[in-house]
Amino acid sequence: MATFAAYTVIGLSLGGIFSLAALGIVLIYRTTGVLNFAHGAMGMFSTFVAWQVFYGWSHPFWPGWVSTLLAVVAGLIFAAAMGLLLELSVFRWVRGREPVVKAVITIGILLALQSAASLIWHNNQYHLPIYILPQQWVLSVAGVPIGANSLVIIGAALGLAFGLGAFLRYTGFGRAMRAVSDSPTSASLWGVPVGRVGAVSWMLGSLVAALAGILITPFINFDTTSLTLLIIDALAAALIGGLVSLPLTVLGGFILGLLETYPAIWIQSIGFPRLVALIVIIAVLFVRNPRGFSVAAK
Amino acid sequence: MTSRLTIRVLGALLAFAVLARIPAGFDVGFKFDAALAVIWAFGLLSLVLLTGYVGQISLCQATFAGVGAYTAGMMVSSFHVDYLVAVAAGVIAAAALGVIVGLPALRLRGITLAIVTLGIALVFDRYVFQDHAFEWFTGGTGGWRVSQATMFGLRMDSSAHLMAAYLVLLGLFCVVAVLLVNLHESGAGRRFRAIRDSELAAATMGVNLTRYKLLAFGMSAAIAGLGGSFYPLVAGSVSPQPFWLFTSLQFAAIAVLMGVRYVPAAALGGAFMAFVPDVLTRYGHGAFLGHAYEISYDWFQIAVGVLLIGQLIALPDGVWGDLRGRVRHAWSAAGSVGGRRVKVA
Repeated sequence: MATFAAYTVIGLSLGGIFSLAALGIVLIYRTTGVLNFAHGAMGMFSTFVAWQVFYGWSHPFWPGWVSTLLAVVAGLIFAAAMGLLLELSVFRWVRGREPVVKAVITIGILLALQSAASLIWHNNQYHLPIYILPQQWVLSVAGVPIGANSLVIIGAALGLAFGLGAFLRYTGFGRAMRAVSDSPTSASLWGVPVGRVGAVSWMLGSLVAALAGILITPFINFDTTSLTLLIIDALAAALIGGLVSLPLTVLGGFILGLLETYPAIWIQSIGFPRLVALIVIIAVLFVRNPRGFSVAAK
Repeated sequence: MTSRLTIRVLGALLAFAVLARIPAGFDVGFKFDAALAVIWAFGLLSLVLLTGYVGQISLCQATFAGVGAYTAGMMVSSFHVDYLVAVAAGVIAAAALGVIVGLPALRLRGITLAIVTLGIALVFDRYVFQDHAFEWFTGGTGGWRVSQATMFGLRMDSSAHLMAAYLVLLGLFCVVAVLLVNLHESGAGRRFRAIRDSELAAATMGVNLTRYKLLAFGMSAAIAGLGGSFYPLVAGSVSPQPFWLFTSLQFAAIAVLMGVRYVPAAALGGAFMAFVPDVLTRYGHGAFLGHAYEISYDWFQIAVGVLLIGQLIALPDGVWGDLRGRVRHAWSAAGSVGGRRVKVA
């Protein structure tokens, strides 16, 4: 029973990781109509910028929280700039093209970012993670240790899900984003500034990717490929949310986290969780009619 | 029809004759690249069939090649069969996996299919090719070592007989390429293209979607597996790294970049994929204005990503498709000189 509880805690923090990564995918998909395979790679690149500030450029006499704050802010500013750059240099020019073409473009972005990161920061090398809260802060609930950083991830996932959901639903700009994703032409006829909305969508999506990447680093083998490849688990969670619902995506992330963790009680394998994610993806796509997200199925 | 077939066969023979001679003067490293280029070209050719003809997206073509490679490696290392038997086994294994992967494709399309095939590529990359549970198939962490093999009963050492392996690969590639070009206008090819243009319309016209989609996936995987099953012979060993997820993504990217609807684009892409990284790492270092620089393999993948984005924005039909269009345009323009000019107002 104690093992089960401990694995549940691990599974939930893993689920928080997947949720955070998946939220950005759903956000970008809902606001731009692009299924972003490069989401993990974008988060990874911004996270490495934060890592560079945290470990490379921060002054040893600064208190720890100053370095952390500077690193996070630098990572997020870089992420927003990257989102803006991608919109201006790439996605602005393919707005009318089929969703598949846009998805293939994101694969190009994935390849370029992944190699650029391994060129700058060298792959196959262990990088120390960025701790938002000190690693020693551990809560103990009924004998099961719960790290403070896990709670931050779970809290961030839930907060972002409802915060972004409310932003898209209740603010004028959020509605404009959804309108542009639905039909750029109609939106522009109604006076929505399509270009500006697209830019903000990509900046926001890139920000969420960076935030997820920075929070995730203590929990994964932090190198250039791990965060890039997190895309599969994130896509599985996003598909559970139908690529639309942010709260369902978070729920999907937690379910997937638990499903991937419990088999570890019996099967010691690094690769097996990927199989679980694949089965979840196929199962979701078969249970929910793919026409349910018609843009993706076109 | 027959005359077109003759022209195609002659073209393939000519291509074979020219391409067979090119690597003869290369050193061992570039001879290896030449053989590798044909292996990658098979992977890209499999996408010409699957994506170019049938319109199905796949991000796991390197997985099919890897299954072919591991099966061939296992057959040679464990059962000491002739390499041709190993290749046949590799092709059959890859085709079987292709049909299995095709099953979800019966319900899925477009981006959802891309997600599923990406997941399959990741499962094979991280689990099947690397886990202890599959050591009987992958030969453990060291992989299969195939330093000595026999083909047609003749000795084939991976280092000494690279040219022979290259010629066999190139010959097979030319045969498969002609078959694919012919397939385009055959009955099956017309059904494939009907599926690409509209699955609903194809089904209405009586195309058996289940049969032809599974056939396409099986054939495509067999082509990728045919190339992959030569990998152990050429490289001397099999390891997961050449067939990992990023190779699958590179296949998709380079196939689209070169022109996913054209068979010769696959050969072009294979050469690009095998030679460019090696040339970069070999000659891409030195000093420029007093600063030492070194171009690593990573630059190749950055270039692939950036070129793919540029191509999709500017040349939707790929490099080969665009060149072909320009040449045809110039040809017809040249033909109209002296004849009656058609004015386009």
